[in-house]
This record gives sequence, structure tokens and C-alpha cells, in this order.
Amino acid sequence: MRPIPRAALRPYVCPSCRHGVGAGRRRFGTQTNQAPDIYDVVCVGGGPAGLGLLAALRASPITSKLKVALIESQDLNKARSWKMDSAQFSNRVSSLTPSSKAFLQKIGAWEHLDIQRVQDYQEMQVWDGETGSRISFDWSMETPAFEAMRTVATMTENSNLVRGLLGRITASGEENLTLFSNTTVAGIENGSDSPTNGPDLSAWPVLSIKPTGAGAEAQSSSRIAARLLVGADGINSPVRSFADITTQGWDYNRHGIVATLALADPETPPFPANMRTAYQRFLPALGGPIALLPLPNNHATLVWSTTPEHAAYLKSLPTPAFLAMVNAAFRLSGTDLKYMMGMAPPSSDPSPHEDELSWRLQHTPSLHTSPRVQAGTVASFPLRFRHAAQYISPRVALVGDAAHVIHPLAGQGLNLGLADVAALSQTIEYAVSHGMDIGDLLTLERYSSERYLTNAKIGGACDLLHKMYNIPGHGPVTWARSLGLDVIDKLPFVKSFLMKNAEGY
Amino acid sequence: MASIRPQSIPLRALRTLRTAPTATRPSCQLHISPLLPAVSCRTATIRKHSTSSVSPDELSHFSALASSWWDPMGPSRILHLMNPLRHEFIASCLAESPPPSTDSQSPNASSAANLHYMDIGCGGGIFAESLARTIPLDPSAPAPTATRAASMTAIDPSTTLIQIAREHARMDPTVNAHLRSGKFKYLNTTLEDVLASSSPSSDSTLSATTAHPQFDMVTLFEVIEHIDPTTTTPQAFLSNCLRALKPGGWLVGSTISRTFPSFLLNQVIAEAPWPIGVVPRGTHEWSKFVNPPELHAWAQEGLMRAADTGVTRGGPSALEGMRWKCMGTIYVPGLGWKMVPGSESWGNYFWAVKKGL
Repeated sequence: MRPIPRAALRPYVCPSCRHGVGAGRRRFGTQTNQAPDIYDVVCVGGGPAGLGLLAALRASPITSKLKVALIESQDLNKARSWKMDSAQFSNRVSSLTPSSKAFLQKIGAWEHLDIQRVQDYQEMQVWDGETGSRISFDWSMETPAFEAMRTVATMTENSNLVRGLLGRITASGEENLTLFSNTTVAGIENGSDSPTNGPDLSAWPVLSIKPTGAGAEAQSSSRIAARLLVGADGINSPVRSFADITTQGWDYNRHGIVATLALADPETPPFPANMRTAYQRFLPALGGPIALLPLPNNHATLVWSTTPEHAAYLKSLPTPAFLAMVNAAFRLSGTDLKYMMGMAPPSSDPSPHEDELSWRLQHTPSLHTSPRVQAGTVASFPLRFRHAAQYISPRVALVGDAAHVIHPLAGQGLNLGLADVAALSQTIEYAVSHGMDIGDLLTLERYSSERYLTNAKIGGACDLLHKMYNIPGHGPVTWARSLGLDVIDKLPFVKSFLMKNAEGY
Repeated sequence: MASIRPQSIPLRALRTLRTAPTATRPSCQLHISPLLPAVSCRTATIRKHSTSSVSPDELSHFSALASSWWDPMGPSRILHLMNPLRHEFIASCLAESPPPSTDSQSPNASSAANLHYMDIGCGGGIFAESLARTIPLDPSAPAPTATRAASMTAIDPSTTLIQIAREHARMDPTVNAHLRSGKFKYLNTTLEDVLASSSPSSDSTLSATTAHPQFDMVTLFEVIEHIDPTTTTPQAFLSNCLRALKPGGWLVGSTISRTFPSFLLNQVIAEAPWPIGVVPRGTHEWSKFVNPPELHAWAQEGLMRAADTGVTRGGPSALEGMRWKCMGTIYVPGLGWKMVPGSESWGNYFWAVKKGL
């Protein structure tokens, strides 16, 4: 628990406990005597989660009168005017489950997305690179013949989503709304009791905010007080440290390689014509799965989880060799791949990786495609697991990555963040319509009880999958996981249960 | 412990407190520790409210709980959890039959925040503060919630609890603004004194029957089972509540029925030691619980008595336009409070009486 002045604690904490808690009174930053501006909701972080919360609050007639603010260190105008050629795609792409899409539609943000850049997919094929056992997720079991297949998930670029959410927020008008763009939080502390019989803000978070960028020195920092301070500020959340909430977790010692690929025309056009498939192959020998998820115009986004050494090697390769490795990773056996990962980075053209691939493919059952990489899109990020000890503290709530970071193998990270935001906005709506204080623990515990276990369950399932598919060779675990995959694939009711779970309903 | 500043006391409160020895007030305010105020405040309040419905034992019991009143995990947690349902029940009463609007010239009077509330036995202010939060800062704005509150007057006989309530209200700038503007008032007084102060006559024995009704909505949550049977009856107390109500207004309350299931739930299980019990031991006395038919009868009798004037008796004509509403509510561990129609006789229930025009 963060230090809260004793006077403010009196109603909350029993007298014997009060002694210890109030001792370390936090005081830092510049003290100004000027009273802070008071907001109902202050959201730190302008990513999809923070913007989603703001858009949801602005969309509901009950919460649209709340005085809200958002603080983002980047330039929101840049995000608002983001533009890309229709044949190009950003490498930061997310898979939205149908429930996330339904939430975005409900808050009126979906219509602000560029739908030309969004791709549904109706089937997902997952197979084990070690044993070849496979499972295919689609709704064909539950969809009558001659009807369009139901969507498994929808791919969208994060920039497109952020721009859409900003568009929705802008469309809601400017009343009671402040967007602090290009602004950092210089410090958070508890407010003080007003000496003139005004409000007692000693248990309220008061933020000192500072503009960054050009002409920043000229502007002085200002102070704002939050009835509810929302931390949507990512894995190293300053709001979380202010609230003294600890976080547990570990680093996977894996990196995710991302890239945007242009695919070759398929030899056999998909049937039905607009049907798209996502592919994921687990490669226990290389430390994680490689996945290819569809984008519009015959493009796809690549996510390859592997060890930091392999990731560095792959990023160092010239484009043709990188492509050869990607094609190899979807086709060759673990032994072949390991050999290719050990080859010296090529200096000559044509790349020895391509020769190696074409030679080895003669001995492998053939698949189609040889993609092109969009220049400058190969990048990597570290994979981590984190879960905050709690999501709430008096007048503080954490959402998205500030509360939890999970392995991306099921593409659930952003969806959990949006589900947090949907739950928190509903909690705020309930509180406002019942006279509750939206920053009070009795209000916030509704949010926390709705999300904490669900997020722990999904994060834990992804962690378990990661660990099961990191055991190479043909031991009992390999046998069991392959049997499990084959069995689930053949039991329609188990499969549809899993898929309904993955949809988020 | 931080020193407590003397609060500005509203004029009317001062008038009702005029008989209280001023020297004892500060000593009451300073002790928030569990045991001391029970003694010191009791002597003060008993002297102050000699002919009131307040039971000294009940007063000391709740004053002892004062320090943890607003602790969301403390002994009053179960009351905090019930609070949103009180708003829902009031909203359902208003949806069924709203009080007549005082300013009929305004076209959207049925959606404006124009209802004046009084909360009797407000305790630490759980309900009163939550309702005060819904009062719009701008009176011409449409009501933000279905409860349509324009003002709230909350009264409680315990000096300690009123002090706790006032201090907590200052922690919310919106509520604090209403406290300072007078739209929200905490008065350390009894219902009898409020009625006496609003009466044109200064003779306190006559005044209660001739008082001017002032409120559109009077709330009485978890109070009727706590009044002192030696100085008054629930019947007489309800009559006084109805006297404070304008014609067409609602008296809304909640209590517990006196049945075998409620004995099991409220006495045996709810007041059991931790971790089973959720209510502090000694909070309830089963024999004081009230069954819905009793309450209905008292309310009818009360409406007729409230219609009495100095010279005429209010007969059955006072019951014209009366409405009666009752809704059982059950606490399910892990899920919270749920409204369950027909469960009135199992334990907790909400009730409401509408005074005819």
C-alpha cells in the first residue's frame, strides 16, 4: 500500500495498524501551494488500452459527463494523422478476438478504423514441428454448409486501432476532456488537506505533469488531482510504482521477431474466395512457435518466438537469407533448421541459405509460397511474463500491460487489455449511476474481481503452452502433447469449447 | 492523530443543540477510539434528547463502530455492499409514481433534480454521502441519476458518527462543495427535534403534530429495528417520519423480518465469530425486527396520525393515494446483495410508503 497521510487513513484502517502505515510519508517533486485541477478520471498512457478506456467513457451517456484527462508522452497528433500506403503494413499488428471487436463496435470506435487495412481470418492451423501432429481451428463444425464461415479473429495494425480510437474520442467533443499530448508525469504524490476548510485531498493522487519537446522549458509543469488514476502506462508502469503494487513474473529469455511479408499468389485460390487462414508451427528445437497471420492484399505478418541468439542471427541476415529461413521454419525439420541457424552469415549473392533451402526442400513434402519482406519491418522484442499483485489500490486502477504481460503465442495480450478496459468502464458506469465514488475500493473491487482470475488463467495457459512446446526430442511430454492435439482435433465439442473460450465470450 | 477542526455548524443544528451543554461537545469529537466516546457522548446525547426515540444502548454500540465505519473491509462492509441496492429501490419507487413536481412550470420537471431528501439515522453517512454525490452542481442540469436528488439532510443522534460522516465527506470535493453550499447537511439531532424546529409553535409537546412537512423523500435504512422501545414505539416513530414527508412523497426504508429463517441468518450466522459472521456481534436484537405486514399496518396508522391537526383527526381519508412496496433482498457470499421478490419473510427487505396527495 502506498503511504497515505494518517488523517486520511483514519476511516479506513484500524487504530493499531494506522501507526505503521502512515509513517513513511511520501514527499517529492516541487510543492506548490496552488490547488491542483481536479479530474474524475486521469489515464496515464495513450496506447490502445488507455485510449479504449477514454473512448468507452465518452461513449456511454452515464459517464460522458465525467471530467477526464489522458497523459501521453508521445505526440498524439502524429498518431492521429498516421498514414501508410495501401500496399504497406506496419509490423506492429494485433489479433482482435470477436469480443474485442464487439467492444470496439459498441463504443463506436470500429467505424473510425480504416476497414481496408483490417483482415478477418476464418481458420487457424497449428502444428507441432517435432511430431507433425496438427489441429485446425475453424467454425466449420458449427457453420451450416454454403454459409460464410465465422471469423476466428481479426488482424489490425496497432496504429490503425490507435488512430480509430483517437478519432472516436475527438468525435465525442471537447467538453470535460483534456488530452495532454507530449507530456510526461514528473511525479505523483498524495495531495494535501486544504487549510481553508476546502476538500481534504490527502488520499488523492496528485500528478505533476511536464510538457516535453520543443518549447518545453518555457512551459511550467502543472498539477492535476485524480478521483481515479488509471495506469495504462505499460510494463514499467509509474502509476503502479506510485501505488506500491508489486509485480511477479519472469523473462522468457526469448525474443519475438516481427516482419511484414508480401505473399506470392497462392497456386490454388482459397475456397470460399474470401477465406483466410493463420498458420502457427511450434518449433521446440528453436525455442518457440513461428506464426504467419493474414493481412489484406495478400500480405501477412510474421511473429517468430525464438532465443535471443537466434533472433540476433535472423536480424543480421540479408533479406533473401531471412526469407529462406522463414520458409524453412515452416517446412523443414528441427535438425535441418538447427543446421541452417548455424551457417555463417552470407556475404555473396545468391545466398547460401536459399541454396540450402532449395536443396533440402527436394527432400521435404512441398508447400507453396515464397514471400517478399517489406523493407524495414524486421524487428524484435523481448518476451516476458508479468502479473501485478493486485489491480487496484485506493483511487488507482491498473489496466493492460501495467497489470499483466503474457506470452504472445495465443495473440491475447491486447485482447486482455481491451477486456480490462471494458470491465473498468462498466464498473465506473455502475458507480456513477449508484452514487458511488469511482475511486473508492468498494467500487474498484468490482473491476478487479471481474478481471484478475480471468487474466491469470489466460496468462497461465499461454505460459503452460510455451513450456510444453519447449521440450525437444521425442520424450513423454512430446508424446502427450501430440496425442492431446490429435485428440482435441477429433473431438468437435472440446474444440468448440476451446474456441469459444479463445473468442472471449 | 490530526487535530479536528471545529466544524461550522448550521444554524438550525445550533438551535436544536441549544439545550446541550457546550462544554461536552469537544470532548466527544476528539475521541474516535472505540471505547471512550460511547461513555462521554452518551451522557451528552441523553441529556440533549430526553424525549427521543434514541436508545442509549444502540447509540453506544454504533459509536463504538465509528472508527471503522468507512473501512471497506471493516465491520460495516456488508452495509456498504447493500448501498447501491438502496439507490435501485428508490429509483424503482420513483419510476412507479414520482412525487408531484414543485415547479410545474418547467417542462422537464420529471427528469430534473428537484427532490429534497432526508436520511434519518444516517450513521457514518454511507447512504447520505452517496446520494449527495448525485446532486448536480448546476441545479438547472438534468438529474444525473434516477434518484433526482436536489438536496440531502442527514440526521443522526450520535455526535461521534456525525463527526465521522462530516470528516469523510470532506474527502470528496463534490460532496464537500454541497456541504458548503448547504445542499447537503449533516445534523446531530433527532427526528423529534427536526419536527419541533420546523413547527411554528415553540411548545415541543404540541409541535410534532403541527410540523410543516419539508421533504419529498424520507429514507430510513436499517433504523426501525434499532429504536428504543422504552421511550417510543415503532408506530409513533413512523408517524413522525411521515409527518416530515410532503404529500405525494415516499418514505423508503429497509429492515429485517422477525421469522425463523431470519433468526438463523441474522443472529446465528451473520453475527457468528469470524470468518463466518459478517456483522459485529450485538448489532441486532431479533425481538426488535419487524415483519412486512406489521410495517404495512403501522404505516397506515401513521399516515392517519400524520394527518391529524390540532383540531381535526385525519381519518381513513388520509390513506387515499397511499402506495405500499416491499422487496426482499438476500446476501449471497461471493456474489453480494441480490433483490429476490418474495423473500421478504426470510430476512432483509426494502419497503416504501407513498403518502397520498
